[in-house]
Amino acid sequence: MALDSLMTRKLQDPPVVEVDIHAASDEQLMEMSREMGLSLSLDEMKTVREYFANEGRSPTDIELQSIGQAWSEHCCYKSSRVHLKEFVFAIDHPDVLARGDAGVMAFNDDYAYALRLESHNHPSAIEPYGGAATGIGGILRDVVCMGAQPIALVDPLCFGPIDSDAPLPPGAKHPRYLMDGVVSGIRDYGNRVGVPTVSGAFFFDDRYTGNCLVNVGCLGIVKRSEICNNFVGGAGEVLILCGGRTGRDGIHGVTFASVELKETSEEESRGSVQLGDPITKEPLIHACLEVNRLGLITGMKDLGGGGLSCVVGEMALDADCGAVMHLDRVPLKEEGLAPWEIWVSESQERMMLATTEDKVEAILDVFRTWDVLATVVATTVAEKRTTIMWGDEKIFEMDLQFLTGGPEYCRPYEIMMPQGEAGEVVPNLPANEKVLLGLLSDPNVASKEWAIRQYDHDVRAATVLRPLVGESNDTGPGDAAVLRPLHDSWRGLATAVGCNPWFTSLDPYRGGMSAVDETCRNLVAVGARPHSLTDCLNFGNPEKPDRLGQFREAVRGLGEAAAFLELPIPSGNVSLYNESPKGGALPTPMIMGVGIVEDVRKCVTSDLKEAGNSIYVVGKTLREMGGSLLYRLYGGEGGEVPSVDLEALKDKMDLMLKAMSKGMVKSCHDCSDGGLAVALAEMCIGGSMGASIQLKGLGDLEPSDMLFSESNGRWIVEVSSDHEEDWIALMGAHAQWVGVAGGPSLMIHGGGIDMALDKLKKAWNEPIWKIMG
Amino acid sequence: MENNGVKRMRPEEIKVCVLRIEGTNCEEETHRAFAAVGCSPEMVHLNQLTGHGAASARRSLEDYDALAFPGGFSAGDYVRAGAIFAARAKSALGKEIKDFVVAEKPVIGICNGFQILVELGLLPATDGISDVPTAALFTNDSGRFECRPTYLRNESRGKCIFTKKIGRGRTVMFPSAHAEGKLMSADRRFVDRLEDNDQVVFRYVSPDGRSAGYPWNPNGSASDIAGICNPAGNVLGLMPHPERALDAYTAPDWTRRHKKEGDGLAVFRSMVESLSP
Amino acid sequence: MAVAEIRIELKKGVADPEGQNTKKALELLGFEGISSVRSMKFFQVELDLEGDEAVQACEEMCRKLLANPVIQSYSVQLK
Repeated sequence: MALDSLMTRKLQDPPVVEVDIHAASDEQLMEMSREMGLSLSLDEMKTVREYFANEGRSPTDIELQSIGQAWSEHCCYKSSRVHLKEFVFAIDHPDVLARGDAGVMAFNDDYAYALRLESHNHPSAIEPYGGAATGIGGILRDVVCMGAQPIALVDPLCFGPIDSDAPLPPGAKHPRYLMDGVVSGIRDYGNRVGVPTVSGAFFFDDRYTGNCLVNVGCLGIVKRSEICNNFVGGAGEVLILCGGRTGRDGIHGVTFASVELKETSEEESRGSVQLGDPITKEPLIHACLEVNRLGLITGMKDLGGGGLSCVVGEMALDADCGAVMHLDRVPLKEEGLAPWEIWVSESQERMMLATTEDKVEAILDVFRTWDVLATVVATTVAEKRTTIMWGDEKIFEMDLQFLTGGPEYCRPYEIMMPQGEAGEVVPNLPANEKVLLGLLSDPNVASKEWAIRQYDHDVRAATVLRPLVGESNDTGPGDAAVLRPLHDSWRGLATAVGCNPWFTSLDPYRGGMSAVDETCRNLVAVGARPHSLTDCLNFGNPEKPDRLGQFREAVRGLGEAAAFLELPIPSGNVSLYNESPKGGALPTPMIMGVGIVEDVRKCVTSDLKEAGNSIYVVGKTLREMGGSLLYRLYGGEGGEVPSVDLEALKDKMDLMLKAMSKGMVKSCHDCSDGGLAVALAEMCIGGSMGASIQLKGLGDLEPSDMLFSESNGRWIVEVSSDHEEDWIALMGAHAQWVGVAGGPSLMIHGGGIDMALDKLKKAWNEPIWKIMG
Repeated sequence: MENNGVKRMRPEEIKVCVLRIEGTNCEEETHRAFAAVGCSPEMVHLNQLTGHGAASARRSLEDYDALAFPGGFSAGDYVRAGAIFAARAKSALGKEIKDFVVAEKPVIGICNGFQILVELGLLPATDGISDVPTAALFTNDSGRFECRPTYLRNESRGKCIFTKKIGRGRTVMFPSAHAEGKLMSADRRFVDRLEDNDQVVFRYVSPDGRSAGYPWNPNGSASDIAGICNPAGNVLGLMPHPERALDAYTAPDWTRRHKKEGDGLAVFRSMVESLSP
Repeated sequence: MAVAEIRIELKKGVADPEGQNTKKALELLGFEGISSVRSMKFFQVELDLEGDEAVQACEEMCRKLLANPVIQSYSVQLK
């Protein structure tokens, strides 16, 4: 190896190597970055060299590894930060109580809720079961370290087509295999740890083949007086590492997440996939929350990406301190780990607590009762430097601002002008009845019961609305899940996911806005007032200007929408480099929204309730076919991507919530994938009841456009006959009467549809069961 | 006042031990269920009963009037659902638990707790408490975890102390969520003997009370059995979760038809009644 | 010091949903000609005993924890 001449052993056992970075040529610097798995660019390596020149010495391997972790895209958002700052970070709201590892928002006068959504894409593409399970583990820790008890999991997932047997690109796994593994991983971890999985979404498209997206979200509840900091209280404190032992699992996870997947990714990256252990996690959560509740700690942070190397520095620096770490005290899974491996390992189920000397024994006592390991590993110091000791030997000393500051780039980006109707190719369509059945049985729309029933969505006994609604074991799709986090109050939390990657790929700006619109529609559909958002922005390689352009435009869209609607985004996550041998994954700005329900007893579901009630469409249907399921399924191309009218949306949301609080609304469903026809069919399926609908009052679009256009800002509403006059007076021009509930079939006059309920149910219920078995 | 060796007490005097080990879940809602009917429940870690852990946290099983093994999971259920919890409880507390049962104090095992009671040999115990399990709760016929509403018909002819307030033949909704709930035995006369002894407490039925197969019986359990008691009637094990059905608004269909309260409360109320004047 | 291999199998006549579902999954992935898949558990135990003593200890483990006699049989083999 060409680098051997630059390496000298500083410590024999365990091995620490000093690297003569000053003598390295440009080629050797890059080789160093590659060989050591640092994923740093030449410019970044030169910055590192300059730092150590000023320090007057050469770095050790553990120091270089630490920089590689800290400066990865995953840890320091070096490509995305500048855009997020411009459009997202500035949205403020008095209810934002903390922006830490998870965002924290006011719930009522005494309680707050925590929220966060995060990606676990690359590990899941390599090892779906372990990847997804550890994703759940990680998101739970993010919520716990705010002091919050996790109360719900939400998992939006994107895969290649599960119903295709087309040849796969080299190295890619079959989407069916990935989906089965990911769902099993979420099931086994979520169910075992006792947190209900209440919501999610599935997206299927060929552009996810070879690069599936696994986003995991979590909600937690915390007393406002017990919200925990993610940093130390000051100098002179101690850090206690608790939970699982440290091993070789998950080394270089963050740098792995910051490069594209390749054919050979599997062999090279198995070590980057961690193994989860829900049975260490469950007592760890209990113990951490207990020491927080008892007021024994000053701060808490989870060990996620970058492991110890990130957590020690960040906890100290956020309080303007430094730390002295005794790395030899870290409990290990196996012998023979090099110090740098211990320092960057991403072994699961670990948390770091900060406390003052006098409380250490009380903390260790709690952990003993729970049979969870806890070890004092570091002390904090006033100077903003981290020092690592191995016994008496100093093996690391770095300035924290340099280390965790990281570079920030304004990389070149290219904004694609949306084509709109100019490039539109209208597909040849079969009869509308056939189209409706086709859309209902597309995996993107069809019932996800196969997955939903494997998730325990009832554990903790606080789930008021589930992902499936209607009669027991004979259900339709819900719009948002609702939880009642405090059992002495009827106040509820609703959560839903919104995203349309197809809109985003044709028009990223409108795609970003649409994600917010859809999330809000879903929340309002159950009677919740949208309150906050969290996002997981899954995009391609930011070093490619068109990918970064998509990212910027989508962030602009969602940021503008959120700002207008006064919805803060107190936490978020960016996952770049979602590319496979076939090209970029669909740009996917996944949004998880949280809404407040004043009284869960007034919640509304999407299943039709009573024959004879009138049905209304709220919102305008326009000819906006771009990115629609109809076009994707039947070979249409281009077209106008649905626009968002924020002012109208805001008005409609206010009116809808008013109508619901007054009991006018018997059922309500968001209108999205597949348009009006699919939404109506879903309400019939859930309610085991047909409906008779007239299209003529809705405008003069072609029937197929009226039925299947996916215009934003729409709901379908069943109105109680006792309240119909009040409803009409309240909604005015926003609502249009279209028909009545009841009968054995869904009849759409003027749309050529008269479809028996059984046929609709079969088309919607069976496809995924048949594919997944 | 004494009755069958069990003293009569006011609801708030009834101390309930909700027992947990690492990885237990559902203990909070089980605790809440007992509190909702006026008892004084406490969540107790197995380590607190065996003296492992801080001395101030030490508890003794005999100080409690009722014992609950909550549902969900325990120790990851890695070997077999409930097996690790049962093996640890048996080796550290075997005698205390047996004495508790013999004294006819109420014991309930829900879901994972049912699996633990079977592994402990406390259920079905048709021929008395057994050292080795005489039944098993085996992988669901579907091979999958099944989270769905389940409807149960109360089959008890009066022996089980946990169903006296439900009414014989009445159908209740308690949701299920498990991967291993199929009750099995090597004994061909297993079901008959349970019937003869009035040990069958709940059967899975459709909402209108008929035997209806999957998915109403989510696991393929023999003769649709969802819950059984011991011959004395003081130990109940069931797969579905009554503690998830305390109020009307966690029912899966509450937006379609309204009940005053959840069906699950009656189980806990019945227990209180069996101990209260 | 012995290394024991403990196999926990379902007794004859006990249906094996895990095996059946795995078979279905394999067929979904395109594997053909699978006539049956049976699931079983396998533990490798290293212990400070030798020969018969080690076997007896492992059998005790099976009785106390690893197998439920209603549905499972076990076998112990020293490596």
